[in-house]
Amino acid sequence: MASKHLTAALRRTSPFRSFSTAAATTAHPPPAAEPYDDGEGISMKGVKIAGRPLYLDMQATSPLDPRVHDAMLPYNLSRYGNPHSRTHLYGWESDAAVEAARAQVASLINASPKEIVFTSGATEANNISVKGVMNFYKDKKRHVITTQTEHKCVLDSCRHLQQQGFDVTYLPVGPDGLVDLDQLRSAVRSNTGLVSVMMVNNEIGVIQPMEEIGKICKEFNVPLHTDAAQALGKIPIDVEKMNVSLMSLSGHKIYGPKGVGALYMRRRPRIRVEPQMNGGGQERGIRSGTVPTPLVVGMGAACELAMREMEYDERRINKLQERLLNGIRARLDGVVVNGSTERRYVGNLNLSFAYVEGESLLMGLKEVAVSSGSACTSASLEPSYVLRALGVDEDMAHTSIRFGIGRFTTEAEIDRAIELTVNQVEKLREMSPLYEMVKEGIDIKSIQWTQH
Amino acid sequence: MTSAVPPPVRSEVLLLFRSLLRTSREFADYNIREYTKRRTIDAFRQNRDLSDPSAVVAAFSDGKSQLEVARRQVIVHSLYAPKVKSVMEIKH
Repeated sequence: MASKHLTAALRRTSPFRSFSTAAATTAHPPPAAEPYDDGEGISMKGVKIAGRPLYLDMQATSPLDPRVHDAMLPYNLSRYGNPHSRTHLYGWESDAAVEAARAQVASLINASPKEIVFTSGATEANNISVKGVMNFYKDKKRHVITTQTEHKCVLDSCRHLQQQGFDVTYLPVGPDGLVDLDQLRSAVRSNTGLVSVMMVNNEIGVIQPMEEIGKICKEFNVPLHTDAAQALGKIPIDVEKMNVSLMSLSGHKIYGPKGVGALYMRRRPRIRVEPQMNGGGQERGIRSGTVPTPLVVGMGAACELAMREMEYDERRINKLQERLLNGIRARLDGVVVNGSTERRYVGNLNLSFAYVEGESLLMGLKEVAVSSGSACTSASLEPSYVLRALGVDEDMAHTSIRFGIGRFTTEAEIDRAIELTVNQVEKLREMSPLYEMVKEGIDIKSIQWTQH
Repeated sequence: MTSAVPPPVRSEVLLLFRSLLRTSREFADYNIREYTKRRTIDAFRQNRDLSDPSAVVAAFSDGKSQLEVARRQVIVHSLYAPKVKSVMEIKH
């Protein structure tokens, strides 16, 4: 009923700018903050494009699924209570929603709801896991094992531990991105307190052999932590089969809201951590602070959706990835896929284009929202440490592009992305004297460059 | 005791299908619009041969609740639709 009135009102009046508070507070928006030209495309940071780019960066973040948004809205509007208020309806209904969401998250990973702690994201969950576990067991356990391709938050936490006097082993990975199980086995010591290996890598999409790693950790009785931010809802996760003690989960990678995540902490055998956020003892003392009900409800809804849609999405995204790779390979040579082709998540395609300069390739791809190998790690132009760990040459690392395909990607978008990428690469290669030499048959590596 | 809800007739199912497709067309966002249309068609196609009446009733009521969600979200999205459209919608 109310919706009928609203839609009728929509048809009567044109753009709702007078109702938007943002427009109300700034009568004349400052020129720097207002990038949009009216209806004529977008001009921002010196680039002019006709419309909003097509989004192929699902590893950075994902759009909010409308069904998730619908679940969140009541908790932003009328059900705004604090879930820790025990004395009135607002608190009770909010708490019920948080507990329902907790059960939804737990069922996706085959865990019990009592083992889920809500955090502000996977980064916080990683911090609690790495620093919290080692600080709790610091008298007996002084050694951590991790890999060179972990997410920055894990590597940075390990560096922090090193400064505190702990030992850290950074396991190298093979050229396919996978951890060597024998090297892992030989790295475990009697005082190893934690092994941390991410399930699906965010840059190259490689899936680590978690079950085998879990077996090794069980054999040596070492807790296993995994960063499953990119894996949740995309590949089947079973904490029992993988023998995982701690798992970091993120909301905004599975079409949920940003600013929420969860930490799975095993109860049998119990793993204990030193809390990184002190306060009123919420979330069983592990993470104090008011639990953000709308965000948590969103994450729960996203997890439930992921459980229902996982098979359908995976089939579709697999077809789209094949279409993308075959489409590019059909028209270009010198295309290398970074990371293992067998053990990879289908929605992540990291390609390097030989004889092309990375920054100029990205500058020409403004109508496609993709990420390059270096951009997501630092603000500098240093090539990505993940690609370096794979042993990729620096020039190939600079030209890497990461295509992220998701639930909402269409075939038409893939075709357009192929066209734009191929055109840009061909244009750049035509201009490149290096490519001319390669076509003539000269081996670039054997050239003696004269020094001036 | 399971409630004796009669399974939906063919015309009801078709009406639900058409309503979902009509609602999906109204989404302001290109990706969500295409997804809703595609998912509706695939879901109905997958459930076409359901024989167990309780499964049919469950699928139908799930479809109806999804229709309500879609109707609400169409309104919310249209309130905040960006002025500039996706490059996929602009004539190439």
